[in-house]
Amino acid sequence: MPGDDGLLAVRAAEGDEDAFEVLVRRHAPGLLRLAASMLGSPSEAEDAVQDAFVSAWRRLPEFRGQSAFTTWMHRIVVNRCLNMLRSRRPVRDLDSVPEPEAPDHVVSPARAAESHAAAAALGRSLAELSPEQRVCWVLRELEGQSYETIAETVGVSPEAARGRVFRARRSLTEAMTAWR
Amino acid sequence: MAMNTGAELPGPGTGTGGAEEPSDDERLACGRLLSEVWEAREDGADDDPHLRECPYCSAAVRQLDLLGAAVREAGAGREPEWDAGALTERVMDVVRLELRPGRPLPLGEREEDLWVREAMAAKALRAAAETVPGVRAGSCRIRPAESGGSPARGPVRVRLEVVVPLTPPLRDLAERIRQRVHGAADEALGLPVADVDVHITDVTDPAGAEEAQGPRGARDTQGAQAPQGVESARGVQAAQDAEEGNQP
Repeated sequence: MPGDDGLLAVRAAEGDEDAFEVLVRRHAPGLLRLAASMLGSPSEAEDAVQDAFVSAWRRLPEFRGQSAFTTWMHRIVVNRCLNMLRSRRPVRDLDSVPEPEAPDHVVSPARAAESHAAAAALGRSLAELSPEQRVCWVLRELEGQSYETIAETVGVSPEAARGRVFRARRSLTEAMTAWR
Repeated sequence: MAMNTGAELPGPGTGTGGAEEPSDDERLACGRLLSEVWEAREDGADDDPHLRECPYCSAAVRQLDLLGAAVREAGAGREPEWDAGALTERVMDVVRLELRPGRPLPLGEREEDLWVREAMAAKALRAAAETVPGVRAGSCRIRPAESGGSPARGPVRVRLEVVVPLTPPLRDLAERIRQRVHGAADEALGLPVADVDVHITDVTDPAGAEEAQGPRGARDTQGAQAPQGVESARGVQAAQDAEEGNQP
């Protein structure tokens, strides 16, 4: 993690938009990946991350560096995604689950087709999780965060975070087993 | 890894169930809870012979592994090349339209009516401080030197926080920074400055200092050095503050 995030955040909080631009450029890729996993849609992920950064710029004067800038941004993006997921109703129809891009050429066609299908099955089952479960699962499984960090980000107890990840895994393993 | 057990991951599974147990947990035919079995798998705990031998537990672990494999497969073909450049532009377009109103600072002589936004002046002064090799400037606050009605015309006081390479004597380095900031304020901005307080908030390893120059520098080596740097910075900062206090 870049060591001068805190310094740049202080400068940005004092109105230095160049410092903020460095932070945006640095953290956008990771946050886009995170938002895309949560929302299952690259274009929605871009909207979420863009809004999150704009909101961060407005709130920076309140950011006192109690946590790392990246943790703070994670929290803003996660909450944004949670709100977007909650406002989706009913659950999007299955066709709108984005198709994963075709695996690259080194994979044999048969295997590519299979993993493509597995990925699609996974995408569909993810879309059926509750927003809370999905967010916690992504933070645990794809971002490798500890339950304590997830709990802090989402604003629940570590036990609740653990429970959500467990329930997400149950739903997903059942769906994947059915698919196989 | 097995070190996670206990300390880092308190919660259900390791306990004897009860209130913390997820309500839709499942007790396997062997009597183990599904959550316990998965947790042991997640923690990489392999010191329990039951988990290796029990067919129910093995099946449960296989399910979790299948899910893991599907996740990895989905991920492998799926990392799109995010165009963070376009997103950055869009964000900055909004940000630049929303410049925060800062306090206006007087430029030139008392009778003139020329002002500069604090954020703008601060940017120029930080840049001046960073012309000293290895120095990174953080907070830069500019206030009227004389308390009184605002916005008051008259000299200002600059309070600048810097991160510097640990190259003694730090006092000389601070003095050089002070001079550059003074110079930029006088010559480039025409901002009358009464005082420049330089606060060293952290020090970095001089070896990594060159990388730290640009806004994109200060990567891993910096981070790795931080704990040591922070500790030594405390004393330096205290000394520096004491010195500031003695100034007129």
